[in-house]
Amino acid sequence: MKLMKRAFYFMPLAVLLMASCSSDEDSDIDEQKPTISLNSGFPQSCEELKRGETYTFRAAAADNLELASYSLNIHHNFDHHTHDDQGSSCELNAIKASENPMIFMENYSLEEGLTSYEINLVIEIPNDVDTGDYHCAYSVTDVTGWQARTSVDIKIVE
Amino acid sequence: MIFKILRVCLLLGVCTLAYGQNTFTVEGAVLDAITLKPLKDVNILNASFNAVSDRNGKFFLQNVPLGSHQIKVTHVGYGNQIVTIDVDDDSMPLTILMKEKVTSLEEVELIAKTDRRKAQELSTISVAISEDFLESNRENSLMQTLKKVPGVSTITIGSGQSKPVIRGLGFNRVSVVQNGIKHEAQQWGNDHGLEIDQYGIDNIQIIKGPASLLYGSDAIAGVVDIEPPKIPEVGSFEGEVNLLGETNNDLFGVSAGAQARKQDWYYRGRLTYRDYADYKVPTDRIRYESYIFDLHENNLRNTAGTEANASVSVGYVGGKMKSETFISNVNAKNGFFANAHGLEVRTSSIDYDESNRDVDLPYHKVNHFKVTNNTTFFLDEHTVRVDVGFQNNQREEHSEPVPHGYMPKPTDSKERVFTKNTLSANAKTTFRPNSAHDMVFGINTELQNNNIGGWGFLIPEYKRYSAGAFAFDHYRVSDNFHIQGGLRYDWGLMQTESYTDWFQSRIANSDGTVSNVFLQRAQNKNLTFQNVNGSVGISYLRNKTTYKVNMGKSFRMPLPNELASDGVNYHMYRYERGNIDLNPEQSYQIDADVDHRGKGYYLGASPFVNFFENFIYLNPTSDYYETLQVYEYVQSKVFRFGGELRAGVDITSSFHADASLEYVYSRQTSGPKKNFTLPFSPPLSALFSLNYEFENIWLLNKPVFSADLRVTARQDDIVPPEEETEGYQVLHLSAMAGVRLFEQLPPAQIRVKLNNVFHTEYYDHTSFYRLIDVPEAGRNLSVSLTFPF
Repeated sequence: MKLMKRAFYFMPLAVLLMASCSSDEDSDIDEQKPTISLNSGFPQSCEELKRGETYTFRAAAADNLELASYSLNIHHNFDHHTHDDQGSSCELNAIKASENPMIFMENYSLEEGLTSYEINLVIEIPNDVDTGDYHCAYSVTDVTGWQARTSVDIKIVE
Repeated sequence: MIFKILRVCLLLGVCTLAYGQNTFTVEGAVLDAITLKPLKDVNILNASFNAVSDRNGKFFLQNVPLGSHQIKVTHVGYGNQIVTIDVDDDSMPLTILMKEKVTSLEEVELIAKTDRRKAQELSTISVAISEDFLESNRENSLMQTLKKVPGVSTITIGSGQSKPVIRGLGFNRVSVVQNGIKHEAQQWGNDHGLEIDQYGIDNIQIIKGPASLLYGSDAIAGVVDIEPPKIPEVGSFEGEVNLLGETNNDLFGVSAGAQARKQDWYYRGRLTYRDYADYKVPTDRIRYESYIFDLHENNLRNTAGTEANASVSVGYVGGKMKSETFISNVNAKNGFFANAHGLEVRTSSIDYDESNRDVDLPYHKVNHFKVTNNTTFFLDEHTVRVDVGFQNNQREEHSEPVPHGYMPKPTDSKERVFTKNTLSANAKTTFRPNSAHDMVFGINTELQNNNIGGWGFLIPEYKRYSAGAFAFDHYRVSDNFHIQGGLRYDWGLMQTESYTDWFQSRIANSDGTVSNVFLQRAQNKNLTFQNVNGSVGISYLRNKTTYKVNMGKSFRMPLPNELASDGVNYHMYRYERGNIDLNPEQSYQIDADVDHRGKGYYLGASPFVNFFENFIYLNPTSDYYETLQVYEYVQSKVFRFGGELRAGVDITSSFHADASLEYVYSRQTSGPKKNFTLPFSPPLSALFSLNYEFENIWLLNKPVFSADLRVTARQDDIVPPEEETEGYQVLHLSAMAGVRLFEQLPPAQIRVKLNNVFHTEYYDHTSFYRLIDVPEAGRNLSVSLTFPF
């Protein structure tokens, strides 16, 4: 309430402030999103992953202040409901129903103080999952709550 | 407001029959000034004597002392008139002619003045919107039309839907009231629009500032109060047909309304139908994050829609009471942009570009049915108003079924269904103990029942009961100095119902094993809330200047999504977690207003300062749940200030210039986003208007040309996950004129409007589609014709 009272006296000033609304105190807030890149990561667009094989999923995350968490989501795209953001388009298989699709959804917290991090996840593609088109989405947050995402279209094959 | 008197013609002559030494009986009759038909139930009042006219318009005032007396003559629909009578031995019978309200220009101005005076005397900062304003500024939705009012903006989704934002706050922090009943729908939803027919509205009162005292929960930032239309005049039948065509979204709209009154009973009806195609944006390519969507012929894919509304009402006006019952139904179906629903990028085998008029998935449809009754009783010293309403809001969100996370592919497109029934009853009495005080006592009660359906879970089913009582006094210290204040108490009970997923999710147990379980998302809970609010304000009228200061506290009961949500919102790529411990939001605000109206110019400023003790905020955290970012409801202190400046000048008697500026500064001063602003903060914005009114040209009756230039600054004050929005300038032109087509009928109105003249590509920071980098609509030519009869 003290703040309010003070503010009341300054109300005429508020009008002046309108014209020159510089926001100096913004300097201490973090207005930058983290980044996530698959440039030298894995998988790349249209990559074919074999059932039963083990792969290392890699992506590079960075932030101006501090990274907080990341996640990896692999889900099927048998119905062509989505596409990747890598600028390329893969030839998709025919639309089909799912029986036992691979679902990988994991979240990871990062240790404190990192401004860059190389994501390295060793994942085995199970032997019994449906083959076909899949979508692989990475996301990363910073301590402020900004998020960055990237995704790539892949295939699981015999 | 209903008591609008236009003119009372009076033939004076008083006849008295002597009954004693000093008192007389005055005989008289009240007639309609035009039809000369007798008016019954007219009140003829004085502090010491009174009478009511009979079927033949006759009345007798008993025991009237010798001398000159002032009497007040009042009749619903005719208003009040003070008449001076001279009573002596030679007095003749009195004949009072009362004239019904008619719609000649001169008289409308007279009404406007009284309304303005009323607004000046109120300490709250309010803006009255007339039918004329609505008619000459009509846009695709009601709130887009009201955007021209300084301090009012909108959150829009697509071309046909929008909801009000007052000084940067919207959703459930603005109350929309129609015919005295609060409009209850899914206001909390991002992609919800206001379900109110924008035709057939006579009068809107916009209150900027805290108004919980009279309007209850949610009236934190302000109120959009859509008042009941004026009562038609006796023996009248009138109506209008409005046709509208637009080029940007190939809209065709028709609305026809009529009203009739014989003597005591009157009737109204209106039908509105609008059908529009996808709207066009000034780009053929949308770049959202690293996705690129190519647009077919600049059409924002699948944003077409239809709207069909019907309403009827029946009213009765008697001497001691008036009552009107409204029944209305608003039905709309709108498509959502097909390439990204919410933030979620989608591809589909649907051929969206085959037609720009069809509505494919994803879309929503909404039906809002409303019955309200407003009844006013005119008792001797009290005016009692009772408002009762029932509303049914049925909203369905459809999207192509896809598997999400552990959820398998659903069998149908019905993602979310909300069925909400609201029963409201309000009563208030206005009491004038003496000429200095107008006291109002009132109660508001409301009962809500919310049901959910569909395969996507966001909020649980709930019931909500709430009741409030208030007392308010308007104290006239002098003619020009007014003090107003009041207190209110509210109580509410919310009962949430449990909800369990219809599919199993895989969860990791502590012993390292994995199990598949049906997760429970919401629990049975009973939560009670209570709150005390108040406000006090002064208004001071000095010559041409009005000064106002108002201080108020307002509140809002937490919503079930804020309290109990626990689910994935895939379209927004987030997991939303409610907080059962949230307290009612409390807001303190000081408003001031200075308004100066001189000869040929006006100036005004309305600054405000606002403090929230516990603003409910959906905070994006750094955590994940099933690979979706966790957003959780928290409460933080928020400090805001801002206001509006306005000025206008008559350059010549037919050339006017107006300008207005609006600004809001918001800061969260505690909590996880300390020092950040609030979501959807409107940027600094100015509106410059020029109006030129011509003399009559051939068939055209007083053509008016106007140009509006909107200049909006860059918004770099953002909070995750928002993006900065560049400033813009956009020009709109319009021309309006009356055309006399038939001698017997009033002139038809024609309006031609060109929005976004330069086809500017710009982004509105408070548009829902801003999140996916969709610019605002491109150039649009609209032609509107109104034929009154």
